[in-house]
Amino acid sequence: MTIRNPLRDHGQRYRPRIACLKKLQRHTVGEDIITWLVDRFQMDTQEARSFGSMLVALGYIYPLQDHKRLVIKPDASLYRFQTPYFWPTQQWPVEDTDYAIYLAKRNIRKKGILELHEQEHYNRLHKWMNHKWDFIVMQAKEQYRAAKERKKPDRVVFDCQERAYWVVHRPPPGTVSAMDYGLDRLIDPNADEAKTPDFYARIMIFTQQSIMRPRVKSSVSIGALVKYCATYNSHDPFLSKCLPSNPWLTDDVTYWTLNMPYVEIPTKMRVERWTFSFAELLSDPRGRNDFRLFLKKEFSGENLAFWEGCEDLKWGEAATMREKAEHIYKTFLARGAPRWINIDGKTMEITVKGLKHPHRYVLDAAQTHIYMLMKKDSYGRYQKSPVFKETVKKAICPEEHHFTDAQLEQNSKKRRPSLSPIILRQMEQEQRAKMAANVDITQVMSKLSKQGKEAPPPPCPPPKK
Amino acid sequence: MPLVNNKVGDDCTVGPEKALVDGKAQVDSLIKVVACHRHLASCVGGCTDSLQLRDELRRTREKALTLAGSICHHLTSHLRNKSLPEGQRKEMELLWVAFSSSLELLHVDLCKVFNISDIFSLANTVALVQTGLQGGGSEVAARALSLPDLNLAPNPTLPAGLESQERSTMEQEISHMDHMIEDMEMKVNVMRWMVEPHGPHGPQGAEALSSSDSASLAMFSVDEEQPGPPPPCQRSRISVLLLLVAVVLVAATLSVCIIFFT
Repeated sequence: MTIRNPLRDHGQRYRPRIACLKKLQRHTVGEDIITWLVDRFQMDTQEARSFGSMLVALGYIYPLQDHKRLVIKPDASLYRFQTPYFWPTQQWPVEDTDYAIYLAKRNIRKKGILELHEQEHYNRLHKWMNHKWDFIVMQAKEQYRAAKERKKPDRVVFDCQERAYWVVHRPPPGTVSAMDYGLDRLIDPNADEAKTPDFYARIMIFTQQSIMRPRVKSSVSIGALVKYCATYNSHDPFLSKCLPSNPWLTDDVTYWTLNMPYVEIPTKMRVERWTFSFAELLSDPRGRNDFRLFLKKEFSGENLAFWEGCEDLKWGEAATMREKAEHIYKTFLARGAPRWINIDGKTMEITVKGLKHPHRYVLDAAQTHIYMLMKKDSYGRYQKSPVFKETVKKAICPEEHHFTDAQLEQNSKKRRPSLSPIILRQMEQEQRAKMAANVDITQVMSKLSKQGKEAPPPPCPPPKK
Repeated sequence: MPLVNNKVGDDCTVGPEKALVDGKAQVDSLIKVVACHRHLASCVGGCTDSLQLRDELRRTREKALTLAGSICHHLTSHLRNKSLPEGQRKEMELLWVAFSSSLELLHVDLCKVFNISDIFSLANTVALVQTGLQGGGSEVAARALSLPDLNLAPNPTLPAGLESQERSTMEQEISHMDHMIEDMEMKVNVMRWMVEPHGPHGPQGAEALSSSDSASLAMFSVDEEQPGPPPPCQRSRISVLLLLVAVVLVAATLSVCIIFFT
């Protein structure tokens, strides 16, 4: 309500630029609206512009030129206020019958004037409202004749009003619609609920669960939050600088190319993040590759391979789940498997029992065990290993960009769409194929090493003379 | 078209053909009144809103309601008549569909006008929205009421009780319409989606009503889109041209006089 009041007051102020305009219908100019908003609500120009655009998008004001673009332009473009009958405030339903009548009216006035999307709507409405079509055409004719009773300038205003109303509520393709708000909720969360026995039962369950919930001291939880913030502060692109430059601000994509998932040489910041926690290391594909390399050197690559297999099972397609589970069992868990992993007896028992009826989470226990093993054991050694030290040494720290305004403009002109997700997925699959090819070597190596450890050392052949 | 007063239970004296024709005429009239009412309703709250407009709205509304009432009687009685021949019944059903659709539109418009006049009270004329309209809607109201012109002497001062009285009248009328619609649905069972409309009203729609008017209208609206060098200055240009022509004529006559007298 408060927004409508100022609009009504403002309607009185307009500056006739040229004497001839006095004879025309009353308009306001985009600049004037924005200046008035800045004065009235004490906001800055940018905010006034977005607020003005919101008003236009909702249909309170409509542009006279370029009527399909529902934005406010801070120049001499003309706008007019919409009549309250067409305001969206009371949320009166926008009926298809009215739209059909409007389209029929336009068709009557001049055949072939309907645009493509309007023509499609018209055909669809004709199909669904065929029983009313006589009425619709008659009503359209009558409305047209009623409008003809008016003088020509008023008639034009009426047409503009109605057209603006329908641009807001049936937007042509390419117009950003302000009326999209998603699905209607079944229940209004602000409405008072009826106090039925079901309602009280729900409240009781909620309270019981709240009591049973495990608690943590606030010092502990806040301490964890503080630690997280302190660690990640320098890595957050909002809170600290983004090297070399934030692509969203400067339109320069160096940052993204340097931080591609499988880049050869990672950045220093990225490598630093791997030291924060094991989860960070594993979640970064480049970090995982590095870790895999380290494990290969240590001949304990099967742990990571098993973990990855379990992830694949958890998040993969349901169709191939059974085969995947069996494959994992044969490769990692069965007795005498080529890449046998070392888990304790109890977990093995649970897993093998579960594998009789495999589902997504059947290997969860084993996966957690292996994850903890890697975290406690291999992760520490990895951070002290030559592999990691090498990576840290090679990591680059890019220089910060200092763009001038002219360069920024040039950058924005050179904007291009990034790699399509299809290509990214193909790259990922290639990587996986490469790794699958590499596995055979590691398998053989680890098998040999195990055989070497178990069998007694072969007797050295007596030197032949 | 003059209103035909059909009393209830009249169908024994009136032939079914005439009943159909009458019904059609009434429904056409109702559609016309509903269209005019909608046109007037879209001005409420804008800068052309005035006592006169509200008065015209009231008269259009009353006419629409009387028409609706009489059509309701007429059509209900005929459609409940089991002995109606099949062709007639189909026609009646068509009329019924048209009637109920107009009634729905009218109901929506009444609610909207009620709501808007609630918010935009005429006591505070400064608060009306500048929609850019200038003329009143008297011609449209005259069309709705089928009068050649409206002779109205609008009340210059707004009596305090008038607005609230109007509001209560409107509320009553809206509830009356609700009842009528409910009654209609109860008494007559017409399956709307089974009704087949007339004629080749395909997606091409009806024929163009008047192309000349449309062309000039299109031109005017196109002009609206580019008001760079404003076209209304054409009037000033025409006056300048006339002035020039007059000056030239005067100069010519003067020179002729000079030549004559020397």
